[in-house]
Amino acid sequence: MSDQPLVEMRGLEKEFAGSKALRGVDIAFHRGEVHGLLGENGAGKSTLIKILTGVYAPTAGQILLDGSPVRIHSPLDARRHGLGAVYQDAELVASFTIGQNILLGNEPGHVVLSDRAIHDEAARILNEIGVALDPRRSAAGLSAAQMQLVTLATLFHRRYKLIVLDEPTARLSGVESEVLFRLIARLRGEGITIVYISHRLREVQEICDRATILRGGLVSATLERGEITEERVTQLMVDRSRTDLETYNDGHARPEVLLEIDGLQTDLLAPLSLTVRAGEVIGITGPVGGGMEQVAHALGGVTRHGGHLRLRGRAVDVADPVAARRAGIALIPEDRRKQALFPALSVADNICLPVLRSLRRLAMIGSREKLAFADGVMERLAVRPRNAAAQVRFFSGGNQQKVVIGKWMGTKASVYVFVEPTSGVDIGAIKEIYDIILHLARDGAAIIVVSSSLREILALSDRVLVIHDGALVSEAPKAAWTYDALLAVTMQGRHRRTA
Amino acid sequence: MAGTVAAGASAEPKAEQKTESPALRLLRRWGTIIVLLATAVGFALASPYFATISNANNILFSMIVSALVSMGLTWVVMAGSFDLSVGLTVTTSSIVVAFLIPLVGPWAAIVLALASACVIGLANGLLVTYGRLSGIVVTLGVMFVLDGINVFATGGYQVAVSYSESAFLYIGQGKLGFIGVPVIIMLVIFVLAQLLATRTRVGHYVAAVGDNPMAAFYSGINVYRWVIVSFVLSALMSGVAGIILTSISSSAQPVGGQGYLLEAFAAVFLGATVLGKGKPHILGTLIGVLFLYLVNSGMNMVGFPFAARQLFAGLVLIIAVGANAALNREELHLKFI
Repeated sequence: MSDQPLVEMRGLEKEFAGSKALRGVDIAFHRGEVHGLLGENGAGKSTLIKILTGVYAPTAGQILLDGSPVRIHSPLDARRHGLGAVYQDAELVASFTIGQNILLGNEPGHVVLSDRAIHDEAARILNEIGVALDPRRSAAGLSAAQMQLVTLATLFHRRYKLIVLDEPTARLSGVESEVLFRLIARLRGEGITIVYISHRLREVQEICDRATILRGGLVSATLERGEITEERVTQLMVDRSRTDLETYNDGHARPEVLLEIDGLQTDLLAPLSLTVRAGEVIGITGPVGGGMEQVAHALGGVTRHGGHLRLRGRAVDVADPVAARRAGIALIPEDRRKQALFPALSVADNICLPVLRSLRRLAMIGSREKLAFADGVMERLAVRPRNAAAQVRFFSGGNQQKVVIGKWMGTKASVYVFVEPTSGVDIGAIKEIYDIILHLARDGAAIIVVSSSLREILALSDRVLVIHDGALVSEAPKAAWTYDALLAVTMQGRHRRTA
Repeated sequence: MAGTVAAGASAEPKAEQKTESPALRLLRRWGTIIVLLATAVGFALASPYFATISNANNILFSMIVSALVSMGLTWVVMAGSFDLSVGLTVTTSSIVVAFLIPLVGPWAAIVLALASACVIGLANGLLVTYGRLSGIVVTLGVMFVLDGINVFATGGYQVAVSYSESAFLYIGQGKLGFIGVPVIIMLVIFVLAQLLATRTRVGHYVAAVGDNPMAAFYSGINVYRWVIVSFVLSALMSGVAGIILTSISSSAQPVGGQGYLLEAFAAVFLGATVLGKGKPHILGTLIGVLFLYLVNSGMNMVGFPFAARQLFAGLVLIIAVGANAALNREELHLKFI
């Protein structure tokens, strides 16, 4: 390891619409080290990485590569500098074979490609990293974990100096994670720097040489291998200065049980049983990709699942989103733009979509009724600007989220399932969204909030569930949790008595 | 290796693949070709003139222009876009070559006609990529523009090629043994295109970009370049078709290229079902064109009216593509283009 760091970031700042995600970060990645990056949601990890890989441009500060300043304008640019990243949702070319995917962009030979050379090379790589997949098998039909392994295999072939791995084990099982760790060890042996982002502390302890903890857009500390302990990390991660949002759910739960979940399971979720009372807010947290999202997707009818649901004592089947809507389950997904909104349609069109039937007059839908209805919803949710005819894409993240919620309010859903309800929402609007959620609870809806933000979970929930590696590891009333205890459980995946 | 993973979660999808019965797999891979052969056998039984060398020659000769246009279009569809200007590109190159022969001689005229086709493809490609316009819109626009220019330049009259241009006319009318020269050109271009598509970086990257542009982008592939290349190849092959068309009929017609467009789309999508690939490929397209023209010829011989031929071709297209989709069922289907 030479003294000069491979990549050094100095005074890096990034501002999004008035709020600072990074407030002067100094960080150095050395050649051949595995550098862990830890931090709460919103601490600035992903912003930092996106600046490093050319997705965002920094507001201030500079990046030095081998001691000389560089500007990274695009992901392609970053690649040219030898900086690569594997994102959480790896993409493959489905019609290609595994081998063709592994060597995509780096095929041996010049103009003419040899099918055999590609698959021989791919077989060698797969064998070397210990993944038993047939390189000639089509990439279509691979499981999420297998896709992740194939994506990791591609790293082997591309000559990177630094590789960012963003929650790489989120979709891997224990054995598969071992493959990943061996691969990391190999890359490290070749002098390649690895930046390793994970919420799983055990992994960070196991493989990282150093770990930097981010807190509120600043570097909290960089720890050497031996210093990475649960106590220290928790202490450094929690932003004591951050004023807690004044939202606190003091309980609106009514005695009657609204939703009974019995043995709900998916490919990535062990059977889970749960009862939710009217007015109760259940918080579900855990590492991203650890199975908590599965609960939401299953309830919304998006993912194939097993188990039984009873709503107000009546059995319901949510085989698909239409059935879920009929049953009165509203899923407010994480990716608003892709999964919940029609960005080019007006707010009125978005809000009225599920209730068009009731706005109908003589089989025609009056635009005046639509605007009036939407305006009413916008008033209740304080959507700004209050212009029901404007296209949704021109609204801020927070106001878009309100529109998504508003879309379901008209349907009189009795169960609301929120996934990361405030991700990408400007800070000012977070409290408003929380108030809306609690308002729904007060009106007697059963609410499930799936979130990786522990503050959010603690602010909103009556009861908190932690799901880790697809299984429920802990369930307790909110009062039983402290922030630090909850953080420890989500990172370690086992319950530690907080006595 | 101590810890080779069999990738636990793999058990399920693998099992799913295994449960496909051999009969089903056979049907998916060879279904289209079986139907093609069955149709041919049917016509051969119904008409003694169908299964003759001279009729085979006729079928091949009649499908030359359509085959070239369709193989060209295959590139663009492979890259994930649409090219509606192929028909008019045929007309344009046909007119350009006919116009230029008296001015610059046949060989320079051919080169310039191909160059003009490439310019059309390049314009399409640049507008679709850097111009950020949709392939349908751009090529629809270019189609109308070309139509306007063609009719304007010719005044709506055909452009004749002098009978003294025997070298040029040999391209479309000559024979090697009993096989027409243009048939040989078509087959040579097919072989080249097939090699380009299956054995080189060009075909590999065009297919990758068409299937998952995001994955291609993150793999460091210049996505725009390959989309542009696909449009240029499409236009170039339509350009060749235009030159052959002029040579066959000793003249260029300012209208009528349009018909090749819809035929080409039918052939490309029919061809995508060949060998169960579900994606357009050059060989499949050629077989698709062959099927359309074989049906045409056969029904003609048996005495069906033209309307019946259209009906049959349309039904076969829908059934073939539909059967293929049913056999390759995806869990969630949300694409309606």
